[in-house]
Amino acid sequence: MTYLPTADHDELRAVVRELADERIAPRAAEIDSSGEFPWDLKELLAKQDLLGTCFAEKHGGTALDTIAQSILVEEIARADATTSLIPIVQKLGALPILLAGSEEQQDRYLPRLASGEWLAAFALTEAAAGSDVASNRMRATRDGDDYVLNGSKRFITHGSVAQLLTVFALTDPEQGGRKGMSAFIVETDTPGFAAPRVEHKMGIRGSPTAELTFDDVRVPSANRLGEEGEGFKIAMATLDRSRLGIAAQAVGIAQGALDASVAYAADRQQFGQRVSDFQGIQWMLADMASQTEAARQLTYAAAARVDANASDLPYWTSSAKLVAGDTAMRVTTDAVQVLGGYGYITEYPVERMMRDAKITQLYEGTQQIQRLIVARQLLQRAGVAARG
Amino acid sequence: MKIVVCIKQVPATGADKRYTDDLRLDRAAAEAIINPLDEYAIEQALRLADAGAAESVTYLSMGPDQAAEALRRALAMGGDDAVLVSDPALAGADEWGTAKVLAAALDKLAPDVALMGMASDDARGSLVPGAVAAMRDVPLLSYGAELAVSDGEARVRRLSATGYDWVGAPMPVVASVTDQVGEPRYASLKGIMAAKRKPMETWSLEDLGLSADDLRGAALTQVTDARAPEAKAPTERLENLPAAEAAAKIADWLAARKLI
Amino acid sequence: MSNDILFLAEFSGGSPARSGLELATGAAELASQSGGSAVALAYGAGAASGAAALGAHGATRAIVLGDEDRPPITYAPAAVAAARDAGLALLAPATPNGRDLAAALVGLLDLPAFGPVRAVRVVDGLVETEQATLQGSVITTARPADGAPTPAVVLVLANTFTPAEGGSGTAEVTEASAADESALTRATVAESHEAEAKVVNLEEATIIVAGGRGVGGEEGFGPLRELASALGGAVGASRAAADAGWIPYQLQIGQTGKVVKPALYIGAGISGAIQHRVGMQTAEHVIAINKDPDAPIGEFADLFVVGDLFQIIPALTEEIRRRKGA
Repeated sequence: MTYLPTADHDELRAVVRELADERIAPRAAEIDSSGEFPWDLKELLAKQDLLGTCFAEKHGGTALDTIAQSILVEEIARADATTSLIPIVQKLGALPILLAGSEEQQDRYLPRLASGEWLAAFALTEAAAGSDVASNRMRATRDGDDYVLNGSKRFITHGSVAQLLTVFALTDPEQGGRKGMSAFIVETDTPGFAAPRVEHKMGIRGSPTAELTFDDVRVPSANRLGEEGEGFKIAMATLDRSRLGIAAQAVGIAQGALDASVAYAADRQQFGQRVSDFQGIQWMLADMASQTEAARQLTYAAAARVDANASDLPYWTSSAKLVAGDTAMRVTTDAVQVLGGYGYITEYPVERMMRDAKITQLYEGTQQIQRLIVARQLLQRAGVAARG
Repeated sequence: MKIVVCIKQVPATGADKRYTDDLRLDRAAAEAIINPLDEYAIEQALRLADAGAAESVTYLSMGPDQAAEALRRALAMGGDDAVLVSDPALAGADEWGTAKVLAAALDKLAPDVALMGMASDDARGSLVPGAVAAMRDVPLLSYGAELAVSDGEARVRRLSATGYDWVGAPMPVVASVTDQVGEPRYASLKGIMAAKRKPMETWSLEDLGLSADDLRGAALTQVTDARAPEAKAPTERLENLPAAEAAAKIADWLAARKLI
Repeated sequence: MSNDILFLAEFSGGSPARSGLELATGAAELASQSGGSAVALAYGAGAASGAAALGAHGATRAIVLGDEDRPPITYAPAAVAAARDAGLALLAPATPNGRDLAAALVGLLDLPAFGPVRAVRVVDGLVETEQATLQGSVITTARPADGAPTPAVVLVLANTFTPAEGGSGTAEVTEASAADESALTRATVAESHEAEAKVVNLEEATIIVAGGRGVGGEEGFGPLRELASALGGAVGASRAAADAGWIPYQLQIGQTGKVVKPALYIGAGISGAIQHRVGMQTAEHVIAINKDPDAPIGEFADLFVVGDLFQIIPALTEEIRRRKGA
């Protein structure tokens, strides 16, 4: 299987980079310091058809291949990690509908997501159920033709700005999370739903990470995705694909930090020469560059497998997210080092990039969870059932 | 009402630009973009199309095969189709040569308005719009901050020494617009995808009914030397001085150069 | 083939534009190199009565293309009749009007065109020019191709030639011969809007104090006007200030505004992006005042003052007035 970027990919990259350099990068520092969601950039991305890339043309999307979608996220993340979450989470929130929704459900909801008129979010995590998804406690109780949702979710990216949520709740608490959880589409203007608070975070500060409460929220059964009890499976299938968006985000963050480091080192003079003339710095930059490229190529390899619907898809996407997230953390930390004192102050972007990078090791499955997934696949191939 | 927008592909601003050994602009060396001032002409044409004042917008460019990229990018912003005039005899064309070729192509396309940007980044004469109008024997409406059309007449709003004028002429015309037209739109993703399906033709000199002889080597001028500019004396810097002291030093500097 | 050097002399409101006087001087210099005469092509309101006075700046003859106040491009056919094979070179001002007329001549007569040039001379009976290209990074020397028609059209920026003072000749004035019909004459002014305040022609200013985004607002230009006044110069601006509505567009300096060549340019609160730079980089002396020590303008200014323009400019104005008063 080959996955060299095509001329179309290159053109997409050039176009998004221009947009990112001209309109997104100049806003990044302010988004970080104000912590405000960049509604203007959301409108811009929607207008440029950049929120519809994972949707079919019949729903108003542009149905780009997964490598192209990764390139899009990468180029935005290079300018600003917060803004890159807008296309990432639009896809994350929509994936349960794309994977398990009926044609009727897709026709009903996807056009508004493709156009960017509505934002979507993915509501799985709870205060006591992060990595341990199966110990979710939120309930969905059948009542006539509806379900009544009660409970709360935590750490939901864009939960407070989305118009549509894909929510996971127990329809059969006796069975527990693995067998008794179901997935629902919830419109956020439904009575009983609230987003009472958002977190104050180390990074991606313009992206609202919300606590959501459901107080007798009534959802028609026509909004249940798949059958009762399929929720866990849908959630896992979603994350198997969505984590590639985080890999792309991490690659973009790393690239942005690398570019800033190279520019600084080439300009700054100390001891009578450019900082970039010192071998020690050249070695650091070379490591940063080659590791970023390796993460990028692994992300594209995984993207190609997603499009090919490979049977070992999770092995690839988890590997990509694992490598890319760790790379982003390492590269951004090194970037601060290359810039020295200037790397620590907010006048330069790398300290923000370092704070932003950390989340890529945490959300959509911590690096530890990714390692479990990769190990399980490895051992499965070797004929050994993995424990744990 | 039919508009043809003439665009040029130029090296990107800030890209490494240089002349080749035979003293031509080395177009291969640099990353290429649509001449930034042409984007305002594209934007003006598309606004007229959006408002229903223009039925079709065609892009025309003279250049090597690579210039087709610029035409695709323009089509991605909007518009209907494009024509590239490409011929080995045109390498090294100067403003006169460019005007002659564009004039012939425009005569063949016969638009109501032939629209251009006011200058290109690499050549700086701004002579092409006027030369094309003269060669085609149509009125010239130049340096427009805005272009409007109605009842068979085109008008541009043009800065005057003391304000502005609306200058008009019956169509067909050649018009050029400035950056006051307003921010050019970005090409949307759907625009980029649609652009691939929009028709683009390539014409040679023969298709225009011109021969290499007519073009006299495509240039009436020749570059005989290209060199780096004289090294400038390093910038003198005054930093973080109290205002009065800075003022005194600047005044000394001016006095030393007999400027005060 | 004639050795004369032609030049465009635009008149409006009864007086010659300063460009006409500068080009007269330049044409006379070239004419002395070529062994011919400097010949004006005069047009616009006041051309008929004012053309003779061009002799004081070096013109031997003047051909009057017309005396009406109409768009200069409409004089192209008359210019063609006067210029055809009539000289070695035709100097045109590198202003919008000058360029349009020059372009029309290029198109109607298939003439070689050069410029804007930083130097022009006659070498071996041919015009030779020097121009800065690729945003000032390369200086090229150019001449007409072998066998190219004459005259060669040469665009000249303001302040490239300094009008000769104290000359006393008068030019011999003739009317232009009849011109061929041309669609170029069909452009007419449909509406004319005057601004309230009179606006100085920046191209003619020898000292310019320009303000950019750093000036912050319309009121911010007050100190700059004071400084310009103390220096005997004019106020200009970057495109950012014009787009923001702080000053009229006629004062915008840059690629899409005025291209100026003053003896002294002071840029305050202007970062120095390339689009502005190409409008003023041929100024003889450049001072930049900016609170950002990394502003690009600091790379090509002769003197870069890092500091607050609202402190420095009033102090400078006071200092200059003090020295001039003394």
